[in-house]
Amino acid sequence: MSLLAQTQPMYWLPPDYSTHGWQIDQLINWIHVFMAVLFAGWGVFFARCLVKYRYRANPTALYEPIKAKASKVIEAAVVVIEVVLLVAFAIPVLAEYKNDPPKPEDNPFEVHVVAQQFAWNIHYPGPDGKFGKRNAKLVSDANGNPLGLDRDGDPDAKDDIVANNELHLPVGRPVIVKLTSKDVIHSFSVPMLRVKQDTVPGMEIPVWFTVKEGTSSDAIRETMIRTVSVPPAGQNPRDFVMWCTNNIAVEDIKGADGTVIVGKGREPSAEHVEALQKAGIGEIRVAPRHPVEIHCTQLCGITHYKMRGFVILMPPDEFEAWYAEQAAGGDEFIEE
Amino acid sequence: MSGGHHHDHGSGHHGHEPALHGHHHEPGFIGKYIFSVDHKVIGVQYTVTALVFLLVGFTMMLIMRWQLARPGEAVPLIGSLLSQLGITHAQTGALTNEGYNMLGAMHGTIMVFLGVVPLAVGGFGNYVMPLQIGAKDMAFPKLNMMSYWVYLSGGIVMMASFWANGGAAQSGWTSYPPLANTALSGQTWWLVGMVLLITSSLLGSVNFIVTIMHLRAKGLSMWRLPFFVWAQFVTAFLLLLAFPPLEAAGVMQLMDRVAGTSFFMPEGLIVGDKPTEWTGGGSPLLWQHLFWFLAHPEVYVLILPAMGIVGEIIANNTRKPLWGYTTLVYSIIFLGFMSFIVWAHHMYMTGMGTALSTFFQATTMIISVPSVIILTCFIISLYGARIRYNTPMLFALAFLPMFAIGGLTGLPLGLAASDIHLHDTYYVIGHFHYVVAPGTIIALFAGIYYWFPKVTGRRMSEFLGKLHFWPTLIGMNMVFGPMFFVGIVGVQRRLWTQTDYQLGQLTQYWVVFSSVGAAVLGLGQIPFILNFFGSIFAGRKAAQNAWEATTLEWVAAPSPPPHGNFLADPVVVCGPYEYSVPGSPKDYCPQCQTSEA
Repeated sequence: MSLLAQTQPMYWLPPDYSTHGWQIDQLINWIHVFMAVLFAGWGVFFARCLVKYRYRANPTALYEPIKAKASKVIEAAVVVIEVVLLVAFAIPVLAEYKNDPPKPEDNPFEVHVVAQQFAWNIHYPGPDGKFGKRNAKLVSDANGNPLGLDRDGDPDAKDDIVANNELHLPVGRPVIVKLTSKDVIHSFSVPMLRVKQDTVPGMEIPVWFTVKEGTSSDAIRETMIRTVSVPPAGQNPRDFVMWCTNNIAVEDIKGADGTVIVGKGREPSAEHVEALQKAGIGEIRVAPRHPVEIHCTQLCGITHYKMRGFVILMPPDEFEAWYAEQAAGGDEFIEE
Repeated sequence: MSGGHHHDHGSGHHGHEPALHGHHHEPGFIGKYIFSVDHKVIGVQYTVTALVFLLVGFTMMLIMRWQLARPGEAVPLIGSLLSQLGITHAQTGALTNEGYNMLGAMHGTIMVFLGVVPLAVGGFGNYVMPLQIGAKDMAFPKLNMMSYWVYLSGGIVMMASFWANGGAAQSGWTSYPPLANTALSGQTWWLVGMVLLITSSLLGSVNFIVTIMHLRAKGLSMWRLPFFVWAQFVTAFLLLLAFPPLEAAGVMQLMDRVAGTSFFMPEGLIVGDKPTEWTGGGSPLLWQHLFWFLAHPEVYVLILPAMGIVGEIIANNTRKPLWGYTTLVYSIIFLGFMSFIVWAHHMYMTGMGTALSTFFQATTMIISVPSVIILTCFIISLYGARIRYNTPMLFALAFLPMFAIGGLTGLPLGLAASDIHLHDTYYVIGHFHYVVAPGTIIALFAGIYYWFPKVTGRRMSEFLGKLHFWPTLIGMNMVFGPMFFVGIVGVQRRLWTQTDYQLGQLTQYWVVFSSVGAAVLGLGQIPFILNFFGSIFAGRKAAQNAWEATTLEWVAAPSPPPHGNFLADPVVVCGPYEYSVPGSPKDYCPQCQTSEA
């Protein structure tokens, strides 16, 4: 039960940092209101019948069918509400989102994501803004060329930036992500940006979105700080380890003598438990290393559960600096 | 196989009765209990086999739920045993991620194709439907026998796949290529098994349709059929029309795997850093269209027989006619029809254009209307009733709110915009399990308690029945309820563990809660197993019409019915649910005159 006690649970939709997500959330919330009302209506009538018409309470059952005008009204209401949800919310929301890609004058940032078992290959065009051609014959993870770029022969590919599992994006600027897959069907899903799209081999499918201005991964991390209890000596540290996985200490965690047990920005793990216990530390504060995660939502094979990426949101100037730095690094393969 | 000496008893006014059908001699042991052509024996064979598979599929779920609550820890009791199949680690006894994917794929396949459908259609349909229409047997008894044995073969192939090189299929019950095409040999076994299971269902569906069309008793017009028979009738059409595309698709995937075709494989695939051998030119999405063209109607194959059972039990235990019988029948026919044009709502995330998704969103909203009508009819049937709270009725009543939850939570998934967030999350798992488990399986339990006295001549224990009902209802809600919240937070499905993810960590407490619910549910099945087997031998003897019902299986056939079913041919004089007719001496009027032999 320690697991329950430590949790700072999330009950409903996760935070949303996209500009379009509120419409999806609004639709989800309204449908649930409608569902709750309908269910409660049925439930009240149902419960009342169960009590009122139990065997002993009612000597004879009614043979003639009742004229249930109410049922016709309810059914008509259900139809009307569903039509409203469909016509006023669902169809326009989707149309606005899907049929209206960013225009060139909005200066969209385009990036390609090529999924494979079990990683997300991120392909940036580099300073020239042109994507190098991906050639299936040149693909070789072993040689550090997971996308099959021809660095020597293809001028567009020379300055391309390739990253693994970490998608850096500027906030406040439209983003177009073109998705495909090298092997099987994956699904590119970023719940906290309300984005989801299957990646289908043989097809290139775009998604677009804009991250809200003024936000960043660093700022989001601040909102997700949580307290994790250090297990007492002799207790299985499994919950502690779970709560610290992919999380980092938000401050230096020091023992009584001032030695640092877990440094700020480091991930606490099972090996720290003993030192923490000795120092008498009962709780530590951690936060997600990269709070906005990419999920693969389509079963893609043996380690599907590990196919996780991160979106790292940066203010535009910071992003430009990072991008220039990566470009200067040339064709280096960025490792986590 | 039941002996060749057919001698026609010459009975029957059925003009259409096939010659094959006239034999009512008592065959020997093998002919009577194993290779039987009697619909009742086949029904019992289906029922028992399907219940065993349900238990197997349920056990797989318990192992997965253990892993989800305690990731990477040894599976209790059977952990080391399963290592032989590569499901668990040999050293630690913990479920491997391959093992998790195997159990995931096989749990889905077993529950749907080897458990629920065979029980609902092969079991209940086979046993009850001919009795309810006053037929001596199915129209094609040998075809009926064949459909059972093909089903069993399919089941054996499926289970044997655990011993295949690399273990059982791991690509989900949906088996999407290219993953399924590139998977190890267990997938080939899965496909062979599926082809057999589909063949079995097709054979059965033809038989059901012909039987209902041609073998009804005198006076039994279509509008006097019990609702259960209508439900089986519509279900049979769904099976007949929806399964062939998947059978074709299954063979095509099999060819992709063993004969080098590329139906579902695009060009230039690189798997595990190596180019694949397929020439390409195929489409992975083609499989999804073919699969869901079956698998959406399949949802109604699961739910319609359940609704049929619930309708029978509600009419019987409210002691009043089912409210809106005609409306109910038209609703299920409409459901059946519409179920063929909603399939692509499973595919909103494949990159579908807005025009196409608008069509499928609209049809999906339309198909929810008859479901709402059916539920409303059942609930209004309770008004003015005289409700007997016996075990079958408890299960039938529980079906109503549970199916309501399952149906309603389909709405946000059916709209493409809200589906962006919810697609392939635990919300989906919660949704379809509410339809199938607390929905259909609860109704199937109701049916077992209701018709058990007819099959065995003995009643099941009411005490043990209630001891089964409450933990089942509570346990199912504990297991599946939290999934909506895990899903709405955004945790994706089919993960060996979700604790590596931020959103997974924040909802892990629900996962633990679900697993506790699974334990409750598991313990709750012990009274059922005891009751089921105990009552066969030691249950209280039941009268022929154990529930004072109106329909033919109760009023015209002994319990258990003999070979040939009826002592005298029933002649139907009224509709199926003439309960509490004013001025009648009893509170029910049998559907035929040759009552209570």
